[in-house]
Amino acid sequence: MEKEIVSLQESRNLAQRLLAYEAVGDENSAPSESAASRVCAKLRGPLITLAGVAGFRSLLSRALTLARAEVPNLSAVQIAADGSLRGLDELVSQTDKEQARDGGAILIAQLVGLLLTFIGEGLTIRLVQDVWPEAAFDGRVSEKRGKLERTR
Amino acid sequence: MSAHDRVIIKKLPTGVPGLDEILGGGLPEFSFNIVAGAPGSGKTTLAHQIVFANATPERPALYFTILGEPALKMLRYQQQYTFFDQAKLSTAVRFINLSQVVLEKDLDAVLEEIAKQVEKANPGIVVVDSFRTVVRKALGGTTEVELQAFIQRLALLLTSWQATTFLVGEYVEGEIRDNPVFTVSDGLFWLYQTSERSSIVRKLQIMKLRGQASVPGLHTFRITNAGLQAFSRTLGLAGQARKIPSARRLSVGIAELDKMLGGGIPEGDSVLVAGASGTGKSVLATQFIAEGIRQGQPGIVVVFEERPQEYAERASSFGLDLGTPRKEKKLEILYLRPLDLSVDETMHEILDAVQQIGAKRLVIDSLAGFEMALAPGFRADFRESLYRMITALTGVGVTILSTVEVDESFTQFPFSTYSISFLTDDIIRLRYVCIDGELRKIMVVIKMRGGNHSKEIREYEITSKGVVIIGKRLTEYQGLITGVPERLNRSGNHEERSHTPKGKSKS
Repeated sequence: MEKEIVSLQESRNLAQRLLAYEAVGDENSAPSESAASRVCAKLRGPLITLAGVAGFRSLLSRALTLARAEVPNLSAVQIAADGSLRGLDELVSQTDKEQARDGGAILIAQLVGLLLTFIGEGLTIRLVQDVWPEAAFDGRVSEKRGKLERTR
Repeated sequence: MSAHDRVIIKKLPTGVPGLDEILGGGLPEFSFNIVAGAPGSGKTTLAHQIVFANATPERPALYFTILGEPALKMLRYQQQYTFFDQAKLSTAVRFINLSQVVLEKDLDAVLEEIAKQVEKANPGIVVVDSFRTVVRKALGGTTEVELQAFIQRLALLLTSWQATTFLVGEYVEGEIRDNPVFTVSDGLFWLYQTSERSSIVRKLQIMKLRGQASVPGLHTFRITNAGLQAFSRTLGLAGQARKIPSARRLSVGIAELDKMLGGGIPEGDSVLVAGASGTGKSVLATQFIAEGIRQGQPGIVVVFEERPQEYAERASSFGLDLGTPRKEKKLEILYLRPLDLSVDETMHEILDAVQQIGAKRLVIDSLAGFEMALAPGFRADFRESLYRMITALTGVGVTILSTVEVDESFTQFPFSTYSISFLTDDIIRLRYVCIDGELRKIMVVIKMRGGNHSKEIREYEITSKGVVIIGKRLTEYQGLITGVPERLNRSGNHEERSHTPKGKSKS
């Protein structure tokens, strides 16, 4: 059945899976780099290929605005000209870590939510799958059986 | 050089029903093509159909987007089409945004980026959408020669890398002479969209195609949730072998009328049954199709003024069972009331049905309904398209009976108000006459191209068995075809009769 509205829960489910995946840590990543920063950085490449830097910046900017409404601390976070996030990791060191983590999670959830809204679940999952090829996703975002899990 | 020495140009499918035939078999592999047209004419959708029809993981399609429709929106909308296969995305179909390169750098950088992506992906298909944007940007600080050189190098690169290329752009026809891209291209596909009264008419033209013969002229197309569907002007019948005319006569299902026709309708003829409303044209047509079914000849009835079920029910009131052959796929009743369809599109539907059940008899009931069902802009093409369809179908042995309503005049004897008599081999005219204070019906065979026929004017009536010829030649009257005859001799054995229709007649 076609879905007309992307629920917040759906986008948060997918965002949480991506963050959980990145939270395990990439051996090559900087210790101070948050999972949200890594998710955002990894999504940046394919989204710039698809939509251009301007397209990606617009999308991330909208996601950030929506996230700021929930987590005002995110006002310190900025988007650089190349589409990279500035200030999210600094936020973690300056404020309550849990609050900062929530802010990052909400930002990723908003970004994923916009993708789900614009291009739908099928294409969003394909895009995510390309970024995390070793992860397996075996169902709909909205369904509990949907899992994005580490298979390596 | 013999034919064996020539290079064979492989033809790729377009994924657009009907377009391969228009192109002369498909898209020439490794060709460099332009898809042009105004915004909303279907250029991007056409490019996507070609992409999804041909892309494989081994030879993917690269779709470069440049400052046109934002890529996310394009994906949002294009995925609604049934041809859009999500499974192909990122493996076989890859979207790459070049906007920034175009905006910030020069043509060399654009070419370099395209070359980098092409060398990396080894694509079979490359699309640049919109290429017009590249040209517009380039014209800002580039000479025409530099632009031409860029296009030349792009064409060389993509052809050398064995890619079939499509440059999509919003061009106007006046640009053809001056724009170098049109000179370099191997193929030029132009899409048009015009509004005529309340209808939208879409047409496409293959203005140029090197290496193979495409079907010239404007072809109508439609965009549905399956994407584009094109309707060739040749109705897909180009090059079909004509059947040698047979001497066989087909019964109409009315014995006396068969006699008047010299033994029936010659197989492969086009017959016109003309008459005023209520004269029994539809009943006669139904008898013709039912008789064909009885003799093992599948048939198609195309109706415009009533639904198939109603048509079948009306036939059953004359003792003609159309339900059983419909279930057995020996009879198809097509209801076409589209209002904005093109004539070619409608004819394609008829031809598809004819081919599907191997129809030998076809009834079009009626030509007036057919014409009214078309978008106003297509009505001008009606006679020409009808001519093409009738010629094509009768050429392969299908016998066609069309009905046409004519205004009953008491001073004239018109065969048709549509000037389509020339389309038909045989004409049967039905009309009312006023005799002895009673409205009665007469029938006459006006014309039979295939041979001699009865010149008799016969009276008939519509009973529960359909059209029944009831009398011998009406010899006692003069001026029957005026509708108001005069009795020549009242002293004969004329018997006054009452003619009350017993069947449920439509026309």
